[in-house]
Amino acid sequence: MNDYKKKIDELLLSVEKPARYVGGEWNVPDMKKQAKAKFCFCFPDIYEIGMSNLGLQILYDIINRHPDFIAERCYAPWTDMGAKLRENDIPLLSLETATPLKDFDVVGFSVQFELLYSNVLYMLDLAGIPFYAKDRGGEYPIICAGGPCAVNPEPFAPFFDCIVIGEGEEADLELLKKVAEGKEKGLSKVQILEELKKIEGVYVPSLLTEGERVVKAVVKDFENAPYPTKPLVPNIEIVHDRATLELYRGCASGCRFCQAGYYYRPIRERSAEKCAEYGREMINNSGFGEISLCSLSTSDYTGLMDLEKELRPFIDEKKITLALPSLRLSSFTKEMAQSSRRSSLTFAPEAGTQRLRNVINKNVTDEEIGNIGRAFEAGYDSVKLYFMLGLPTETDEDILGIAEICKRLRSLYIEIRKKRNLTISVSCSVFIPKPSTPFQWEAQISLDEMLRRQKLLRNALREIKGVSFSWHGAETSVLEVVLARGDKKLAPVIVRAYELGAKFDSWTEYFSWDIWTQAFADCGIDMGEYIGEISEDKDLPWDFIDIGVSKKYLLGQRHLAYQGITTKNCREGCNGCGANKLGRCTII
Amino acid sequence: MIVLKYTKSLDARFISHIDLLKHIGRILRRAGIPVKHSQGFNPHALLFFSPPMVLGVNSYAEYVAIDTDMNGDEVFERFNNSVPDGLKAINWFKTDKNPNIQGKSVSADYVLDVPYFEFDYKDGFEITYKKKDDMVTEDIARKIFGIFNADGRLGVRLASGNNNLRVDRLATGLNEKYGKDIKITTIAKIAQYVDVDGKEIDVDLYLK
Ligand code: SF4
Repeated sequence: MNDYKKKIDELLLSVEKPARYVGGEWNVPDMKKQAKAKFCFCFPDIYEIGMSNLGLQILYDIINRHPDFIAERCYAPWTDMGAKLRENDIPLLSLETATPLKDFDVVGFSVQFELLYSNVLYMLDLAGIPFYAKDRGGEYPIICAGGPCAVNPEPFAPFFDCIVIGEGEEADLELLKKVAEGKEKGLSKVQILEELKKIEGVYVPSLLTEGERVVKAVVKDFENAPYPTKPLVPNIEIVHDRATLELYRGCASGCRFCQAGYYYRPIRERSAEKCAEYGREMINNSGFGEISLCSLSTSDYTGLMDLEKELRPFIDEKKITLALPSLRLSSFTKEMAQSSRRSSLTFAPEAGTQRLRNVINKNVTDEEIGNIGRAFEAGYDSVKLYFMLGLPTETDEDILGIAEICKRLRSLYIEIRKKRNLTISVSCSVFIPKPSTPFQWEAQISLDEMLRRQKLLRNALREIKGVSFSWHGAETSVLEVVLARGDKKLAPVIVRAYELGAKFDSWTEYFSWDIWTQAFADCGIDMGEYIGEISEDKDLPWDFIDIGVSKKYLLGQRHLAYQGITTKNCREGCNGCGANKLGRCTII
Repeated sequence: MIVLKYTKSLDARFISHIDLLKHIGRILRRAGIPVKHSQGFNPHALLFFSPPMVLGVNSYAEYVAIDTDMNGDEVFERFNNSVPDGLKAINWFKTDKNPNIQGKSVSADYVLDVPYFEFDYKDGFEITYKKKDDMVTEDIARKIFGIFNADGRLGVRLASGNNNLRVDRLATGLNEKYGKDIKITTIAKIAQYVDVDGKEIDVDLYLK
């Protein structure tokens, strides 16, 4: 036990949920092996959220399987622990061996969400590591980033030595190999970065030349890609407290607002046999009481029925449950409703009218919404519905359409079940035009308009019995769009916001709109610049990132949206988005 | 039914009781120890625990009764192959039915990491602690059953079960009253006693 570990133990009883900080989860790999390079994964949110992240578990497993490398983890300490660390002069430490972040060869941040940018700085600050890459010499680790936000890395690029664009499975290992070699040969940091730049998917901000593009890293053989069949088993309850099976990557639906749907193309499925095998191994190795299937649109998975059939005897024998999240209405069957045994059903029509659903290419028809009746027959009494407000071309009629859907479900329920206790919870987020989607050029509606539309919907829903309504903060949505579509000029704004106290921005109790508006003002930058419509011929900060899907395709999709013309699901045939130049879409 | 006596120490001492209940279920599942389930609409595994431990305190005398047909040696071995270091089984017992350790608990022995000293409590020992948002003052004298010399350290026997005295509260009280520096995270529970026909008996003997 090192000294830091002892010091931490003494602090633990004065903070909330001490088990967040002790590690020692079941299945933590061997941390004592001789390693040529050590990596520390940093997740800029608390343990319970970070531990639920599948991407991080996959990469952690891959590095630790390698005989030469070790990966540890570090989650953002909640503010109480952050303060204790400062008071006691303890730097931010890895969970497994209580090693200061500074002592690793590579520190890699998983950036999942724009509102976590301030927390990246919070963690660097606690670790005693300067924010800007240019201020860090060879005595510091290589600080890198990855995760969904790398789709437009520019706002945070100045903080990192390198950024992995796309899927890290192969890139992270290559990166460690090169870092280990560089160490052995005594290369300087710049020399190492020059080597890293050669890896597919690795963007080195300080070395990018004019006109150069970075091609996203893609796992080509997804079927045989390593999978964490010995998942870490947390000691406290986390957000996704179960074994997670990834069925496929990418999405065939082509919803025009959905960044993940485009970013994770090409579409690659794993066979049902393999998934079932992984599922059994995971349960046997972890003891989790539940398997959840994870993919962008799980019920579209070709082998879903086969997988269910393969796993059923095992599930019954072990007395565990199989959860089927985010079902698409179109592939919803009564059997699924029954076998998933959940208390509440979740659907995401996203928009209230067929017209608007055509615009966003959410191929859920009015008729299919009627399919929810099958769930009522199967015994469900509660439905959760997800919508977005502020979508391009949205009118008040579209918004009131949400209330119409609720009314329809209610009468359907009464008709089938002959009683009136259906509860419907409607959850609305605000549309955020995201990079690398057909809507990347769109404007976001103004704050006042967001509030007006929320009020309109709230009033309409109030008149329907059994409906509850919740919505996401309007101000955080504004910040999200600004950071999502930002450029390098925003890095100093993020630093300024952190200096003014921003952290845990994704937590309502910590988010402060005043801090951010102040930070923008102090840096002389107008948020409005990033919120309005972007002209189609303008260069975009993320144009140098090649995600496979071409800009021309995105633009074409945008124009189809305005005509209300839908694009077919890729499972019916390739739409020519361009992603297959990076790997085969296995569903075709 | 097989009763395992196990430790809750090292990193595992920071696992809350609620999380531990869930955790043991997972351990048994990955260990391949079949556990019988209750009947009814919401079947749950038939597991019965000794009283909850204070977060951060080590214990070398925790018990869980498992309704299973597997033999004790195998349960013991499989359990120990599937747990982190802090949660090791140290003994096992076979019983006909749920021994109801929690319900019968009367007291427990703890060792505090401080050289043995005698303190007065018989005429009253007031401590003040925070409960929810209020500060509460309580005379805990009748919940202190005795003190003893544990190899030079301070040993105490405290009420456990319904009338429980949290050992961390006593330790904090001693720190304040006698200027000691007992760290909660170094306290160890070493024995659990149950009431059998009005007699205070070590659970190990009760289960034998
Ligand atoms: S390449 Fe074709 S099949 Fe693959 S994601 Fe693009 S449009 Fe769909």
